[in-house]
Amino acid sequence: MTSTQPEAFRRRSSRRTEILEDRPVNLDGFVEEWPEKGLVAMESEFDPRPSVRVEDGRIVELDGKGRGAFDFMDTFIANHAIDVETTEASMAIPSDEIARMLIDPNVSRRDVLAVSRGLTPAKILDVVKLMNVVEIMQGMQKMRARRTPANQGHSTSARDNPIQVAVDAAEGALRGFAELETTLGVLRYAPLVAIALQIGAQVGRGGVLTQCALEEATELELGMRGITAYAETISIYGTESVFVDGDDTPWSKAFLASAYASRGIKMRFTSGTGSEVQMGNAEGKSMLYLEIRCILMAKGAGVQGLQNGSISCIGVPGAMPGGIRAVAAENLVASMVDLECASGNDQSFSHSAMRRTARAMPQLLPGTDFVCSGYSGVPNLDNMFAGSNFDTDDYDDWNTIQRDMQVDGGLRHVREDEILEARDKAARALQALFAHLDLPAVTDDEVEAATYANSSNDYPLRDVLADLKGAQSVMDRGLTGLDLVKGLEATGFHDVAENLLTVLRQRVSGDLLQTSAILTPDFVPLSAINDANDYAGPGTGYRLQGERWEQLKKLRHVTSATNPETEVG
Amino acid sequence: MTTPAGDRTVSLREVGPARRGTREDEVVVAVSPAFAGHFTKTIVDVPHAEVLRQLLAGIEEQGVTARVIRVRDTADLAAIAHLGAKLSGSGIAVGVLSRGTTMLHQKDLPRLSNLELFPQSPLLDAEVFRKIGSNAAQYAKGESPEPVPTRNDQMARPRWQAKAALLHLKEFECIEADRGPVEVEPAFELSPA
Amino acid sequence: MTQSTPTTPLGPSDYPLSVNRPELLRTPTGKPLSDLTMDAVVSGELTGDDLRIAPETLQLQAQLADASDRPQLASNFRRAAEMTAIPDAEVLEMYNALRPRASSKEQLLAIAERLEGHYGAAESGVVVREAAEVYERRNLLARPEQD
Repeated sequence: MTSTQPEAFRRRSSRRTEILEDRPVNLDGFVEEWPEKGLVAMESEFDPRPSVRVEDGRIVELDGKGRGAFDFMDTFIANHAIDVETTEASMAIPSDEIARMLIDPNVSRRDVLAVSRGLTPAKILDVVKLMNVVEIMQGMQKMRARRTPANQGHSTSARDNPIQVAVDAAEGALRGFAELETTLGVLRYAPLVAIALQIGAQVGRGGVLTQCALEEATELELGMRGITAYAETISIYGTESVFVDGDDTPWSKAFLASAYASRGIKMRFTSGTGSEVQMGNAEGKSMLYLEIRCILMAKGAGVQGLQNGSISCIGVPGAMPGGIRAVAAENLVASMVDLECASGNDQSFSHSAMRRTARAMPQLLPGTDFVCSGYSGVPNLDNMFAGSNFDTDDYDDWNTIQRDMQVDGGLRHVREDEILEARDKAARALQALFAHLDLPAVTDDEVEAATYANSSNDYPLRDVLADLKGAQSVMDRGLTGLDLVKGLEATGFHDVAENLLTVLRQRVSGDLLQTSAILTPDFVPLSAINDANDYAGPGTGYRLQGERWEQLKKLRHVTSATNPETEVG
Repeated sequence: MTTPAGDRTVSLREVGPARRGTREDEVVVAVSPAFAGHFTKTIVDVPHAEVLRQLLAGIEEQGVTARVIRVRDTADLAAIAHLGAKLSGSGIAVGVLSRGTTMLHQKDLPRLSNLELFPQSPLLDAEVFRKIGSNAAQYAKGESPEPVPTRNDQMARPRWQAKAALLHLKEFECIEADRGPVEVEPAFELSPA
Repeated sequence: MTQSTPTTPLGPSDYPLSVNRPELLRTPTGKPLSDLTMDAVVSGELTGDDLRIAPETLQLQAQLADASDRPQLASNFRRAAEMTAIPDAEVLEMYNALRPRASSKEQLLAIAERLEGHYGAAESGVVVREAAEVYERRNLLARPEQD
C-alpha cells in the first residue's frame, strides 16, 4: 500500500494506534465504492430515473425503458406488481412528499399503500434515498404489516444431532421465537432433524412454526407431509442474469409460490442487497435498486412475504459506505409494499460486538414482523446457516437491551428450572417417538446430556450411519406429521401431540397463508388482517406494556427492591 | 502493506496455444486471466508464486508431471477447471482463480460438477495448495484420495466477502473474449530484499 | 362436497376463519374442522388427505385477501385453489419445466393446455403462457443443441 505520510512519521506507530489496530472492528473488511460495477449501496448515478407510461391498460414504459427493451424482471414487475390504474397518479407525486408520508403519523399505513402500489422500482429508490436511518425506522414502525413484532430462531447442530436440534428448539420456543428453522450439514439427515425441530418446538411452546431449509423439491416434500409448517429459502435475484444463474425465473418462482399455497403451507421468498454484485452480474446498478426489483417481483408473485436484509451477502453492503442504511431501507421497502418482512440479522456480520448491535437497531427499535430471520438458538459453532449475528451467548444481552429500551424483540428471560424442564421433556419426547417409530434409539445418557448441554460438543456421539438409514426410512415409509402425532399420543406425550395436531389442522383453514401470520400460544392465527399495524403516532400502535412488559422486566439478576439482599425472578 | 523481503515471484511466459496433452500421467493447472499477471497474490496475500509452487510440488511428489495453462476468455472457476481437464492427458485439472478459489475437475464430469471444490479462498494457505496438488496427481493415477479437509470460518464473511466480490469484478475485467487458452511456462525468482 | 358457501363475500372481520367461521371450512374429504380430533387420529379415521386444504377454502382466503387490498395475494390463492387437484409429483415436474432453458415453447404451451384442459386451471395456465412468451423473447427456451 502506498502511503502519503511524510517519511519521518512512517517508522513506528503510536501506542494508541496499536490498541486501535487490535480492536475487533479492524478484522472486518471495508472496500471502496465502484458504482460502474454495482459495488455501491444505494446512491449511484447509474441507476435509472423513475418513469412510467400506460397505454391501453398496460405499462409500456418503466423507469426509462420501453416495453421492447424490458428484461424479464421489468416485464414481471410491469405486468404483476404495479397497479396500472393508479401508477401514473402515484408516480406524479414528488418523491419527497411520499417520503414524508412514510414518516408522518397523520398519514395512515393504508394511505401510504394506496400510493406505493403504483410506484416503480426507481421511484421507490428515489423515495427511500431521501430518508436517513431514523426516518427509515419511523417508516418501518408504521409500515410493518403485523402490529405485534416477533422473532425467528435457528436450531441446528454441527453434527446434525437431532436431539440437540430438538432441545434447543424447545428452549428457543420457550424464550419466545414464533418461528424456528433448521438446516443441515449432511443433507440426508434432513427428515430426522426436521422431525426433531418440530417436536422440540411444540414442547417449548405450542404453535411455534417450523421449517427446514433445503433445495426446493425436498423442502416442499417435507412441507407437504406435514413434518414442517412453512418455507422460506425460495431465493430471488434482482438481475435477469443472476436469476437465471440460480436456475429460476420470476414465473417458475411464482408457480412455486402457488404450489405451496395449494398445500396450505405458509411461504416467503428470500432476497437481499449484495447478491447480484457478489455473483458478478449487477449490471452496473446499486445494490438497493436491484433489491427493490426483487421486492416488487415478490409482490407481483402474490407471495405473502419476504426474508430480506442482505441475508447471506451481508458482508458486501456491510463493507460499503452507507451499506447498513441500505439494508434498513430494503426492509422498509418490503414493508411499504405490504409484504411480511423477516428482516435479516441472521448471518455473522462483524467481529465487533458494538457493530453487531448497531446493525440490528433499525429493525429492533421500530420492530419488524421478524426482527431476526434467524437468531441463532444454538451457539454459533453449531449454526449450520454459517453463523448468525446473534447466538445463545447473546440471550442475556438481548433481553437486557429489550428492557433498557422498552422494546419488544420477541424474546424473554426464562428461569433455569423451566428451561431444563423443557429441554428434558423435548429429549424424552424425541426418545419415545423414535422408539415408537423404530428410528435409531436415543439413550438415557443422551437425554441427560441434552438437558444440560450448551453445544454439540456436550453430547455423546451418534451412530451417523444408523441415523442416516433412519432418515431414509422416514422418507421410504412415507411418514407424515400425522404419524408423529400418533406416536406422541401413544407414548404419553399427549400435550405435545395436541400441540402438533393443532398446528397441522391450521393448514386446513389456510389462515396461516395470510400476510405475516403466526400462531399465538392460544393457537389463534395472528396476521396483518386481525392484527393490522395501526400505528398513528405516539401512544398508538404496538406498545410494550401490561403483562408482556412485566415479562420483559425480568432478567437473570435483578436486585429486589423489597429485600435488597435477594434477587427477584 | 509492504512485500516482505525475499518473496518469491513468478511470471508466466506464454509459449503458444494450449493443446490437449498426450501423457496419461499429467495434471493440468489452469489459471484464471489475471493470475500472476494483473494480480500477484490471493485474497489473503499468499503470493501466486507460492500457490503455483505448492500445487506443482504436490503434483510432482506423486510422480506425476504438471503443465500450466492460462484461460483467458472466462473467469468462471468451473469453466476454467473443466477446460483444463479437457486439455489434460489424464483428464484431471486444478483450476485456480486469482483470489485463490480452487477446484479439482475431471473431464468426464458435467461442467457444473467437480471432484473437489475449495470455495473459501481466505482459508487456503500454502499447505492446502500442496495437498490439492497431491490429490490432483492421485486422481490422475486413478487413485481415490481422501478429499482435502475443507475448513470453515464463520467470520470469513465479514472480513472477506466484499473484497472477494471486488476481486471477482476485477478478474472479470481481465477477460479477453475470444482468446483461447495458452500454455505458459512459470519462471520463478526470488525478489531482492 | 357439503361445504357451505357464504352468500356475501368474506371481510376482514371473518378472519381467522378457524376461529370466526369454522362452519365454512371442510377438508378435501368433506370433514368439518371439528372432526379433526385426537380420537380420530388415534382410531386411524384421519389420513393425510384430511389435513390438506380444500380449493374452496383457498377461494375463501382469496376473498379475505381481496377484502384486505391484496389483489396479488388473492390471485396467488386462486391459482393455488386450481393446483390442489394436481398431484405432488406433477406440480414439481411443472415447476422444473418452468426453469430457464428447460423447455421448448411447445412444451410450455402443452403444460398450459394441460392446466387449462385437464385441471380447469385457467389462471395457472395464463402464467405458463406468459412465461412461454417472455422466455422466447429473452432467449430462455431450451436450446436444441444443449447437452
